[in-house]
Amino acid sequence: MGAVGLQTHIWANNTRSVLLLAGFPVLMIFIIYGVQLILMGFGFLPATGRGLGDDMALAALWLGGTIPLAFIVAGVWFAISYFGSQAMIDTMTGARKVERKSEPDLYNLLENLAISRGLRTPTLRVIDNDSLNAYATGLHEGQYSVTVTRGLVNTLSRDELEAVLAHELTHVINKDVRTMVIASIFAGIISVIAELVFRGLVHSRGGGRRDNKNAMPLILIGLAFAAVGFALAIVIRMMLSRTREFVADAGAVELTKNPDAMISALRKIEGRSSLKGPDELQQLFLDNQPNGVGLEGLFATHPPIQKRVEALVRFGGGVDPGVLSRDPATWETSVPMTG
Amino acid sequence: MFVTLIVIAVIVAVVLFVIVGAYNKLVALDQRADQSFADIDVQLKQRQDLIPNLVETVKGYASHERGTLDAVTSARAAAAGATSVNDKVQAENMLTGALGRLFAVAEAYPDLKANTNYLELQRELSDIENKLAAARRFFNNAVSEFNAVRRQFPTVLFAAMVGFGSDKPFFDLGEGDRAAMTAAPPKVSFTA
Repeated sequence: MGAVGLQTHIWANNTRSVLLLAGFPVLMIFIIYGVQLILMGFGFLPATGRGLGDDMALAALWLGGTIPLAFIVAGVWFAISYFGSQAMIDTMTGARKVERKSEPDLYNLLENLAISRGLRTPTLRVIDNDSLNAYATGLHEGQYSVTVTRGLVNTLSRDELEAVLAHELTHVINKDVRTMVIASIFAGIISVIAELVFRGLVHSRGGGRRDNKNAMPLILIGLAFAAVGFALAIVIRMMLSRTREFVADAGAVELTKNPDAMISALRKIEGRSSLKGPDELQQLFLDNQPNGVGLEGLFATHPPIQKRVEALVRFGGGVDPGVLSRDPATWETSVPMTG
Repeated sequence: MFVTLIVIAVIVAVVLFVIVGAYNKLVALDQRADQSFADIDVQLKQRQDLIPNLVETVKGYASHERGTLDAVTSARAAAAGATSVNDKVQAENMLTGALGRLFAVAEAYPDLKANTNYLELQRELSDIENKLAAARRFFNNAVSEFNAVRRQFPTVLFAAMVGFGSDKPFFDLGEGDRAAMTAAPPKVSFTA
């Protein structure tokens, strides 16, 4: 059933996220199977000596042993990168922690939103930078933090700032940071496997112990499996990131009850959000648009502002002021409110 | 025979699953609409609390505007006493109208308009009106979502059986006025 309002829009995107996340283990199996076929083709693994179909069936039979092994390796990898990622995010951005005393207005906005949802107020950080962006980090309670740029604080009105903070707080409430860290670890594992395969192909000159009469088709099919799995892993990671943005936008409207403020905040940051950071961090940004054009729709971590605004108009009942000029002096300072 | 039983069991399970899912969805949306009405209620209560103060302040400068002042006071009493959503909507719309007339009347009293207390009350009231507008819009959105999901197939087939037989009413600004107008046509009177 399609979305007819804010809540059903959130539900639909949450269901989508679960399905996308479930896609990663499936892709892992896909890629392992591809790797087995390639190894068999090169003669590193024994083949049946019969037809191609029999060889492929044999490789499928091995999955029973290799899948548990692969998931144990993945689990260990997970444990290490999971705890490393927060430290990395903290050190790679020059975000400064601010207290209530130095930024009372900003702090109160965040605190009020957190109180309305019964949360401990996340740590508030400010980056002294003119770009307009924000992000939430933290993998568990006590670690949660919301960061905004100085440019954002200076440019947005109070309502818009509240909407942005509510957007980031929704990421915290939904544990999106955790989801995205999991997604990037999965994507990382998959791309390392893919890289090993391609490097192995370049260096090995058919140095296996056994000869395989199906060598060529097995290698080609295996490559196809690995390549498709690798490409899908990245696409799924990006799609997941985009669904989380839609949910956070909708969640911001839920918290502030003001779709117009979220829309005009998005319109203001449009084209002015560039902020440097590692990939793991960029996918957490309020907005992050790829520089290149082309397949960007598939590989973008964030939906285009236009689509986010359209979703808010359609499901949240907001009013879209249209694309704003790049000169902030022409912007209206307050958001018009209508019944 | 055995296969038939399994098929029937699977069909029953699927149907039950769909019904339970749809029912839980309705409950969540219903709860959400009620909650967002509570947000409106908070603003309405705050507005009601400001009114005695406002009436007293205006009385100090324009005590002979009895009719207008009494209208505000009685509209407030009606709003405070309303319990159902429909009554509340109607009473609050009356109060909004009465307040509008009070502010119009106050325009004729320069001393009143300069009173800091009056200015502060006016500012607070307009702030509440803004929040009220936002809360009302959110509530209407939640209501329309509930109504739309309720009427979707297959939910509509059993919605009535599980206690969601009718649409939720909107917090409609015009409706209260329209109802009042059909009940009694507006009277034109020059004695305030």
